Amino acid sequence: MDRRDFIRRSGTLLAGASGALSLPVLSSCTSEVVDAQSLLAGKRMGMVIDLTKCPSDCTACLDACRHENNVAFHDDARWDVHWIRKVNIRPKEEGEGHEEKTVLLMCNHCDDPPCAQVCPVQATYKREDGIVLVDHHRCIGCRYCMIACPYNARFFNYKESEEWPNKDYPKRSHGVAESCNFCAHLVDQGKQPACVQACREAGAGALTFGDLNDSQSEIAGLVAESSVKRIREDWGTEPKVYYIGL
Amino acid sequence: MKLSTALNRENRGIVATVLGIVILLPLGASIVGFVFSGRSEVPDVFLERADPRWETCVQAPEYMRFYHMDFLKEVREDVVRRGIKGGVTLSGCGDCHRNRNQFCDRCHDAASVILDCYGCHFYPETDAERVAGEG
Repeated sequence: MDRRDFIRRSGTLLAGASGALSLPVLSSCTSEVVDAQSLLAGKRMGMVIDLTKCPSDCTACLDACRHENNVAFHDDARWDVHWIRKVNIRPKEEGEGHEEKTVLLMCNHCDDPPCAQVCPVQATYKREDGIVLVDHHRCIGCRYCMIACPYNARFFNYKESEEWPNKDYPKRSHGVAESCNFCAHLVDQGKQPACVQACREAGAGALTFGDLNDSQSEIAGLVAESSVKRIREDWGTEPKVYYIGL
Repeated sequence: MKLSTALNRENRGIVATVLGIVILLPLGASIVGFVFSGRSEVPDVFLERADPRWETCVQAPEYMRFYHMDFLKEVREDVVRRGIKGGVTLSGCGDCHRNRNQFCDRCHDAASVILDCYGCHFYPETDAERVAGEG
């Protein structure tokens, strides 16, 4: 008997002992319970970002992410949190092949995530399908993950956000680290992440999300056929965000 | 009666006792009242009975009364760590127990147990807030 069983049984016993109130112990939800762990096994979720289709002045994905995930924005660079960022890369030399580029940066959801390795309370962990998540209940705010992440994808909530645009999704309290989680709550519902949806709606279609292990999927085809690059593959973190035209 | 007669050696003790009682009684009463006043404010935990027949409750009220914190923690671990979804949710509780102030805060305030669920999770405190959240 594990702890959970024990608690359940002792509760039932107590309910029985209270005698006068004989009541139906109903769990109305048990029929719908989904064991996602078995559904996720064998998957390897990833994203392809086609920079050739990404207009430099469009911020549809950034806004959608901020709205969907209640990402804190205080309009102050010290405290702002970014799950997905757009940076301009200026070339060192001038001439052909050295144009300024706009690159989307986000959590790379490494197969071998340094952030999860260093987390002292195992708040950051890699799910069965390869998505790297933070369990904010466990996070103690030590910020080791921010130091460990080679992609600077992690941000710390120095201040609690007062805005709460999407009430269906929790916001973060002050004192926890966070990063992109590929909108895991949407992925579990069979939807695409908010940034991918927004990019499609904006007509750019630069973002593709899917299962890299599924050879029939759009993303596996893109990775196989196009010339894709990942950021700093030599680090051996095996990121799952692929870039076309980097 | 002169004051010197009133405070002679024989009745000095009685006067001191009477004065002591007169001074100390209100003080003592206020202390006792202060200590016990908290007890009268302990709310009836079964006031919030959303469904009188408990047919839609996830667990029996007696169970939830004593073990809701363990139960919710297990549910949380199931959802967040083990990926078992579609069961009990906080917003599901809110479907019946519509007012957080009545459902959680009243007892938690009385017991001085601080809840930090609602810094991040949305659960309307008042009906007005619920309407605002839905709108």
